[in-house]
Amino acid sequence: MSWDQIAQIINFTLRNATPVILAALGGLLTEHAGIMNIGMEGMMLSGCFFAVAFSYICASSGAGVIAAILVGIILGLFFALFVVKLKADEFIIGMTLNTFAGGLTAFLLRSVFGKTGSWASTDIIQLPKFDIPLLSSIPYLGKVFENISVFVAVSWILIVIVWIFLYKTPYGFWMRASGEHPEALETAGISPIKMKFIASVACGILCGIAGAHLSLGYVNNFAEGMSASRGFIAFACVVFGMSNPPKVYVAALMFGFLQAISLNLQEYIASDLTAAIPYLVTIIMLIYVTVSAANRKKRREKQSLKEQSGASEAPVSA
Amino acid sequence: MKTLQNNKKYIISLIISIAIALLIGAILMAVSGFSPIEGYGAMIDGAIGSPRLLGNTIEKSMELCLLGLATAIGAKGGLFNVGGEGQLFVGALFSTMIGLWLSDLPTFLVIIIAVIVSIVTGGIYALIPALLKTKLNVDEVITTIMLNTVAIKVCTYFVNGPWNSPLKSISQGTDYIDKSIVFSKIIQGSNLSTSFFIGTVVTVFMWFLMKKTTVGLEINVTGENKRFSFFSGLKANKLMVTSMIISGAICGLVGMMLIYGYQGHMTQSASNEYYFDGMLVAMIMNYNPIGIIIMSFFFGFMATGATMMDMQVGISVQLYDVIFSIIIFLMAAQTGIMVWLENRKTQKKAKQLAEEKAKGLVEETAGKEAE
Repeated sequence: MSWDQIAQIINFTLRNATPVILAALGGLLTEHAGIMNIGMEGMMLSGCFFAVAFSYICASSGAGVIAAILVGIILGLFFALFVVKLKADEFIIGMTLNTFAGGLTAFLLRSVFGKTGSWASTDIIQLPKFDIPLLSSIPYLGKVFENISVFVAVSWILIVIVWIFLYKTPYGFWMRASGEHPEALETAGISPIKMKFIASVACGILCGIAGAHLSLGYVNNFAEGMSASRGFIAFACVVFGMSNPPKVYVAALMFGFLQAISLNLQEYIASDLTAAIPYLVTIIMLIYVTVSAANRKKRREKQSLKEQSGASEAPVSA
Repeated sequence: MKTLQNNKKYIISLIISIAIALLIGAILMAVSGFSPIEGYGAMIDGAIGSPRLLGNTIEKSMELCLLGLATAIGAKGGLFNVGGEGQLFVGALFSTMIGLWLSDLPTFLVIIIAVIVSIVTGGIYALIPALLKTKLNVDEVITTIMLNTVAIKVCTYFVNGPWNSPLKSISQGTDYIDKSIVFSKIIQGSNLSTSFFIGTVVTVFMWFLMKKTTVGLEINVTGENKRFSFFSGLKANKLMVTSMIISGAICGLVGMMLIYGYQGHMTQSASNEYYFDGMLVAMIMNYNPIGIIIMSFFFGFMATGATMMDMQVGISVQLYDVIFSIIIFLMAAQTGIMVWLENRKTQKKAKQLAEEKAKGLVEETAGKEAE
């Protein structure tokens, strides 16, 4: 394997991880706010479609991104309205949102643009790409940082921002409290419902951006169901990363890496089988994370039990 | 008495939800330049316009009903089986291969073996997430969703790889199973075959299991409150696994019925997210078996009608998904919406009362001043 190939795999890893981490950042916000958002898949798919549609109509990729963000806001508000305000079952609303998005995008694709299944056109403007200065001039691995789509870099900044927001600002503290102790937050005079709404809308925006990256980042097309379970994988990444942005990014990178090498493995194994690998590994990772978390908890309990018994013994011996 | 009233309320809100959803569907049709009357006309015509179409509608309804019941039994046991699509694919693939491999055996025997194999493979594929949940506490929603994609990809590999038909006339998928083991048609030219009787038996059995047997009650109790069931001496984990296996078995069976009923051979598009439609029907009806049976006819009607509407008028078939999901949004939030409406009513009443009182006071003081 040559340096070029390795650099290319890393490059692919970064680009495949981007939609997942963007959606997962949204997912971890709602997770902290105490909402299980299984509807990210649909939000992402809507982002894909509206980004492509408005990039085509306005002949500008920026307009596409703005449209995707606006749709994300609407869907986020919609989700919060049903789940938080009307107290509907979050699982049902999330799954239905996915069906709704799949139906609506296919319907609009057909009735507005007259296309069935998929749509590619040179009039759909791609997002700009650039080489990262300095890093791209490194020998051997410089290729990694060449031809990077905007949102790959944006996702790195967003990870830091979300982390600072969650752990270093009062708003983040309130958001976490709205999930863990809504009553306490209410007593402190801040509405947990409002925080949940904010989290849901932020999630919608991030999923919209993820969709825009997916359909405009490196390609310029839309296909029915093109999000291909990435919303669910993002949800799994939130679980792996225990809702901590950098850790979640590691999980997303792993997914991106698996996708990148499954592309390279196609020479040896049928592409349908390699395409199943990322999903299979997601399951295995989920098992590992769940089991190790349970073990850690057990160990901690045992230790605290030991400490307690030690403490009660101490006065006797004295 | 109270449940009757609750049921009545539920049915009324269901009818209102359907009406709103159909109205939104009509608006969407009108916006995209079609006449809603023509659209819905084509939908009704496409569902019951001819014996052939009626047959398709009934077949589709049966599918939705079985898959809905599969979701319901899992959910009643406390596990969301989102992986029915994968279980369906696995069942369909293996039952097809049984049909191809054992083509020398007597017809009756082949069908029996195919049914058993589809049930077993579907059940085993559902057993994986169920065991992961009960033994290791791994969230079943994510694992079942992931297993869907895995099953579909692997099945695609097999039908286009090692088990692909050598015949040039078949571009994708396996060989066709022998005509003698295909279920015979009840209505010629339609998708409705004698597999309908299997479907009916399974439906009745499921209703009986969920409503009339101890196991059904125990599953129900486990799903509603695991702790309670534990302290009542029930083996909660075992019941959860059982309900999941039943769910997967039905999905596998539906896969077999699709192939032996009308498709004839296994392809990568044997099912087009059929399970999710069935799941949504179950969700609308709150996992109530009778409700699922009745509603699946409505949605089977809509689904078949929408396909024909697409062909005849040119309105995209996916409009059905949109209408379908709006109904579920409204039904899932119906309690919330009702409470909100009631609150508004009381608020209005209170406001009116306060205003009247204030008016009275003003008049009183005005009268006093005049004196």
